[in-house]
Amino acid sequence: MSINNFLIAVIAVIVSPLLGGLLTGIDRKITARMQNRQGPPILQPFYDFFKLIGKQDIAVNQTQMVYVLGHLLFAIGALVMLVLQQDLLMIMFILAFSGISLIMGASSIRSPYSKIGAQREIMSMMAYEPVLLLMVVGVYKATGSFMISGIFEHEKPLLYSLPLVFLSFLFILTIKLRKSPFDFATSHHGHQELIKGLTIEFSGTQLALIELTDWIDLVLFMGLISLFFAQPIWVGILIALVCYFIEILIDNISARMTWQWMVKTTWVAGIGVALVNIVWMYLIP
Amino acid sequence: MDWYLLLAAILLPALSAALCFIIKNQKVRIAIVSISTLILFAVAYGFIVLLLRAPEGKLVYQFNESTLEVVSWIIKGLDLVLFSYIAYVGIKHKKAIVVVLCILQVIPWALFEVFGVFGKVFEPEDAFVIDHLSLIMIMLVSIIGPIITFFALGYMKEHEHHLKLTVSRQPRFFMILFVFLGAMNALVMTDNLSWMYFFWEITTLCSFLLISHDGTEIAIKNGLRALWINSVGGVAFIFAIILVNSSLGTLSIQAISESGMEGAFTGLLPIALGLLCIAGFTKSAQFPFQSWLLGAMVAPTPVSALLHSSTMVKAGVYLVVRISPAFSGTILGQLVAISGGFTFAIASAIAISQSNGKKVLAYSTIANLGLVICCAGIGTRTSIAAAILLMIFHAVSKGLLFLCVGTIEQGIGSRDIEDMQGLFKIMPFTTVITVIGMISMMLPPFGVLITKWMAIETAVDQPLVLLLIILGSALTVVFWGKWIGIILTMSYKPKFHIEKLTFSMEAALTTLIVFVMAASIGIVPLYNTLVKPQVVSFVMQDKGSLVGEGMGIWLRNMDKTVYGGFASIVFFIIVLLLMVAIPFFAHRLKPARLKPPYLCGDNASDDMRGLEFISPGDKIENVVVRNYYMQNVFGEDKLTTGANIIAGAIVLIILGVVIGL
Repeated sequence: MSINNFLIAVIAVIVSPLLGGLLTGIDRKITARMQNRQGPPILQPFYDFFKLIGKQDIAVNQTQMVYVLGHLLFAIGALVMLVLQQDLLMIMFILAFSGISLIMGASSIRSPYSKIGAQREIMSMMAYEPVLLLMVVGVYKATGSFMISGIFEHEKPLLYSLPLVFLSFLFILTIKLRKSPFDFATSHHGHQELIKGLTIEFSGTQLALIELTDWIDLVLFMGLISLFFAQPIWVGILIALVCYFIEILIDNISARMTWQWMVKTTWVAGIGVALVNIVWMYLIP
Repeated sequence: MDWYLLLAAILLPALSAALCFIIKNQKVRIAIVSISTLILFAVAYGFIVLLLRAPEGKLVYQFNESTLEVVSWIIKGLDLVLFSYIAYVGIKHKKAIVVVLCILQVIPWALFEVFGVFGKVFEPEDAFVIDHLSLIMIMLVSIIGPIITFFALGYMKEHEHHLKLTVSRQPRFFMILFVFLGAMNALVMTDNLSWMYFFWEITTLCSFLLISHDGTEIAIKNGLRALWINSVGGVAFIFAIILVNSSLGTLSIQAISESGMEGAFTGLLPIALGLLCIAGFTKSAQFPFQSWLLGAMVAPTPVSALLHSSTMVKAGVYLVVRISPAFSGTILGQLVAISGGFTFAIASAIAISQSNGKKVLAYSTIANLGLVICCAGIGTRTSIAAAILLMIFHAVSKGLLFLCVGTIEQGIGSRDIEDMQGLFKIMPFTTVITVIGMISMMLPPFGVLITKWMAIETAVDQPLVLLLIILGSALTVVFWGKWIGIILTMSYKPKFHIEKLTFSMEAALTTLIVFVMAASIGIVPLYNTLVKPQVVSFVMQDKGSLVGEGMGIWLRNMDKTVYGGFASIVFFIIVLLLMVAIPFFAHRLKPARLKPPYLCGDNASDDMRGLEFISPGDKIENVVVRNYYMQNVFGEDKLTTGANIIAGAIVLIILGVVIGL
């Protein structure tokens, strides 16, 4: 790894949480306005974060922190691979480790809420994983490479050849960001049947780190969206922001569905739509 | 020097087997097993040194004509003994199908080998050829096999204690284990297809004897099922031998492997290759032949560990990988890939619905073997490299996991996943090892996942296969994730219980976990020294290449540009950090900072475990949370019949295609 790469990685690791926190703040503001509320200041997520850091460490068992660290470190790993333009497929697998780590943490706790949340999170993982992998295949079919650097070398924006894969990716993005209608594993509002579900027994620093990981994930996924329009990249970023707004909109106008519904829809519609796109990519010589 | 090694690899296990059977003393047995373990390690090491020095990348053992003839006739004689014994087993247990399949093998065998009805039998003069693939198999058999045997020392003592046997049946048990190892070693070293068939049949018989070892009704029933299903493979094998002999004019396995490039993928050879693949499917328990491996779990745990990791099932995939260059890029290759991919996806799906730990492992084995066969069928150099690497990683991890489940079963008296809640407190040592073993089966940067990644990246030109691998990967995450969640469940405990394991069990677990970590961390040298030379030496059209460089493994296409790759070693730093973090956090937390979990009301008692709470109406309620198993979607009874029909159809299509070619 050259010095240049190292610098890029360090900058990404520092900047992306800031960006992610800011996006989350904007999300909360927009959501509040959609609900006719004033809403918190845009920097509220950061205030929350530091407040959480300052809290007393309370845990249910001795191992929780390890899973939280795993969740965070592998997300950072995936982010670094993204900015260094590494293998896209492997990024998906690294992300899966990050997700599984949180699931292990949640189910290591003897709380029914956290355990059921973890089960539901595994189910959403089962639902979105094939779509992510199919997306990678679509990218390969379009660019002839699995490396993200290959996408940047490719002249035509991916969106032109992979419109349906893009749609399918947006669909699972809602699952991945745990936004309504798919916020059944855990949600921002602690008054639902699972209370806080997956994260119910994480508090203080641990919860802060989970929030931090969510921000990194958010930036990572925004980055993946921009890849669909990598040249010029500012169009891609613009598209990503529009998509994020659509996600917020969906979050606010839809009611929560069951996880069974989610698995069914994603496997039939999500995979189906992505496959149609990939099949035509195969037929183009 | 090399002849000694060859003889030691085959005959030493046979000798140990005899000694174990004759001398019934427990202490002597421990000595025999320990010494054989060390010698087999040394044999494996000796072969590594010899092969790495060998100029052409292979060791060839040539017999002169007279010796060849003598050995051939000895093997023919033993073949006959074997057939008679299998027929006897069939008659004794009144299982007609065993006898019928045995006769179906004896008649063509006798006509071909003894009476020479189908023309001259061309026995290759290079009776034993050891290349890198053979060496990898020798390492798996001679390193993992003895470790499991060593583990069995402690396990079988406990096991017989549970069964309350008056006369120990351990001498018979260890005898069969050693015969098994010897036969596996011979099977992977020989270059003579008809000798391989003999060793193949020995492993079939041994698996019957081991599965039915406990002598209960179900054990014998499942053992017989293993026997007859594998005999189907035996029938396919013997016909394949006859066809190979008349189409290629030699029984050399190397010649079969190289035959693809001669452009002669017509006539009898494709039929022979198709039949050999089907033989491999039966041995590797691919759908629709999977039921014998699922039944095999009634056997004592070391047997399952041996059958699932380094021996038996690996013989099937070894054969398919060995002959895969011959059908690379043909329609047969595509069908084999689809068949393997289908098994991978469907077995992973069924595993989700299982709550019996051993059954989850069994389905996961079937799935991974499916992936190996799928990779062999895809037929690029990268995919075959993925197949060979997966064989290694799977053998180590799965051997370990079976021993873990066996240890857990003896510790808590159950193999049901739901009973493993809170295992971390009862058996911390075993739990940590089990979790690492499971993670090594599903997540990066461990080897199994890397091979999955290679498989996806190299399967991009075969969409159906690709879809099957992708679905299988997603389903794999689910069943491992659920299981890990259960065994890691714990509430605060001021002191960890220190578990007592016998030395042999502890040593076996520790050694295997070291191998699991070492193999995954050292994937680059492993690939460069053992797998790459083999893949490069295969005669195939594919021009792409896979290179191990620096921190990871990189895929290159014809003009040498990298189109995929991963610096896996970098990520091991994170994994190792986390492993160090576990004891750090376990000791750092003060009890004052710990609270019981929130249940659904006030907790009933002050203890930290959080098992009961006071519900509205002042009743004390227990908290029980079970995993999702989704029986109504992924249940064995829902999927098996349909899957068998589809997989059976694929096998018939394979047969139809090769005959029609």
